[in-house]
Amino acid sequence: MAHNELILTEVTKRFGGLTAVDALDLKVEDGQIYGIIGPNGAGKTTVFNCITGIYKSEEGSVSWRGEEIRGLTPYQIVDRGIVRTFQTIRLFSQMSVAENIMSGRHIKSRQKLWHGIFHTPASKRDEHENWKKVEEQLDFFDLGAFAATPVGSLPYGIQRRVEIARAMAIEPTLLILDEPAAGLNDKETQELLNTIFRIRDKGVTVLLIEHDMDMVMEVTDYLTVINFGKKIAEGTPAEIQQNPAVIEAYLGSEEDDDE
Amino acid sequence: MKSMQRFGYPVFFVVMAGLPHLLNSRWQAVAITFLIFSVVALSQDIVLGKSGMFNMGQALFFGIGAYTTAILNAQFGWPLLATIPLAILIPAVFGVILAGPIVHLRGDYLLVTTIGFNIVFVQVVQNNLGGITGGPNGIFGLDSLSFFGVQLLSQVAVYYFAFAVLLLTLWIMHNLEGSKPGRALHYLREDQLAAESIGINTRIYKIFAFALSAGIAGLAGTVFATQYSAVSPEAFNFMQSVLFFSIVIVGGSSVPGVLIGVFVMFVLPEIFREFATWRFFIFGFAMIAAMILRPRGIWPATFGKIPRFLIKENNHGA
Ligand SMILES: Nc1ncnc2c1ncn2[C@@H]1O[C@H](COP(=O)(O)OP(=O)(O)OP(=O)(O)O)[C@@H](O)[C@H]1O
Ligand SMILES: [Mg+2]
Repeated sequence: MAHNELILTEVTKRFGGLTAVDALDLKVEDGQIYGIIGPNGAGKTTVFNCITGIYKSEEGSVSWRGEEIRGLTPYQIVDRGIVRTFQTIRLFSQMSVAENIMSGRHIKSRQKLWHGIFHTPASKRDEHENWKKVEEQLDFFDLGAFAATPVGSLPYGIQRRVEIARAMAIEPTLLILDEPAAGLNDKETQELLNTIFRIRDKGVTVLLIEHDMDMVMEVTDYLTVINFGKKIAEGTPAEIQQNPAVIEAYLGSEEDDDE
Repeated sequence: MKSMQRFGYPVFFVVMAGLPHLLNSRWQAVAITFLIFSVVALSQDIVLGKSGMFNMGQALFFGIGAYTTAILNAQFGWPLLATIPLAILIPAVFGVILAGPIVHLRGDYLLVTTIGFNIVFVQVVQNNLGGITGGPNGIFGLDSLSFFGVQLLSQVAVYYFAFAVLLLTLWIMHNLEGSKPGRALHYLREDQLAAESIGINTRIYKIFAFALSAGIAGLAGTVFATQYSAVSPEAFNFMQSVLFFSIVIVGGSSVPGVLIGVFVMFVLPEIFREFATWRFFIFGFAMIAAMILRPRGIWPATFGKIPRFLIKENNHGA
């Protein structure tokens, strides 16, 4: 039953009078690069927050590999192989790039609490093995040159890469990216696309939110479009591009809040 | 910074190891106080500096340790050194019990709660709870140190006891830095939501920080009780907690920062004793100036303790 499927059924999340996510159904299959798009304030980030345990949806079910994960805490969900990045980068900004990536090794490390008081040969070995894993991520994301640099002092594009590297250090089954291309220039966006493909090639399923339409069309296998918390369309990128409801929602909203 | 580690620490250890032989008995007592309060301030750094939790009740754990030693010695005749395991364990258990319900609180609320705990503790011991805490006068007339039946009456023996406890504390702090739990504390301080989103159960680690910190402060309490052969409530009141809190903030969350902080707060006032009433006035201003000029402390925490093999030739920064 280790079928790596994420299934949302009728997920609803309200903030006071506002229904941010409205009876949303979603099915992400193993090995996909799945996209969620929609205008500003459509509820995309809220969907991610409901999946990753930051919010608990009032109604509906979030099922991962056949297990109900709605209501679990964020760290319990990470433990089950779902890891996310944030729309506004959330790194440990005073700490070095390597230490940030090492944080992703936390749940893989076998050290116990008392290893914080004294070390044993086993804990030293564990420590070394995990730093070696950090080195692998530094290489994979081409961040080796910045290993010792405090992450807060780095440009945006590199910080994004560090955040994804930290998530990958956890060895997730499902990687959730919230607008990974936000704030990146064209060259960086192109690199990001390549990175996402390489991540998928490692067998990781990717679920991402994106604003940049061109990027979404290029990278995703399957898409869901939401507006006002409701699904207005789903399909392959080619199908979505033809969909009149999507065109209307997108053009309509972009006039309102000139992006 | 690197050279500080390589030369600073050995020099410090050698000087501290020889120090009591250069001092008269009054200054030996000051040096012991410096060692004890350094241990308490370092323990406070685990909760406040490393984990970013605004604990203003550290004197409480210091006091529980001291009272544990005093009661076991005075009431039950345990040798002072034999009280050490319980003087660590009891404060640590209190750390878990008290921290459990409050660690989720936001900084300012947590701070007020810990002040409350500290006040309750002082009231309890003042009112001679169960007839064993001695009331407002405390407990006095404790034994002197003895080691396998050998009496160690001199103050120098107490000094080396305190020094050994400081070394142990520094060793633990060092181990903490290079471990998964130690890093977890840094992560949750920097960004709790991010820490949880990479799988850290922040609650467990916060309680761990309190327990470890309380255990170390409790051990310092044993040394304190040994130094004075007595304990009394006012040594552990809320003003003491304020001082420990200030030392970590003003010094910066680093070992040199904390030691400088303790020196400035507890040793300099002894040196400038003649200026009695003026000294706190001056130190108040010095604290204000330090925070304005160096908001992250006199000697801020440094990160970047990563293995050498990760630091490549053409490294940026560091
Ligand atoms: N914590 C919250 N409390 C109250 N309202 C919220 C909260 N989080 C989100 N909302 C509201 O829910 C709606 C959906 O927000 P959400 O952040 O999910 O949108 P989004 O699709 O991610 O938008 P964007 O493209 O701007 O990131 C918005 O109207 C937002 O104001
Ligand atoms: Mg969003």
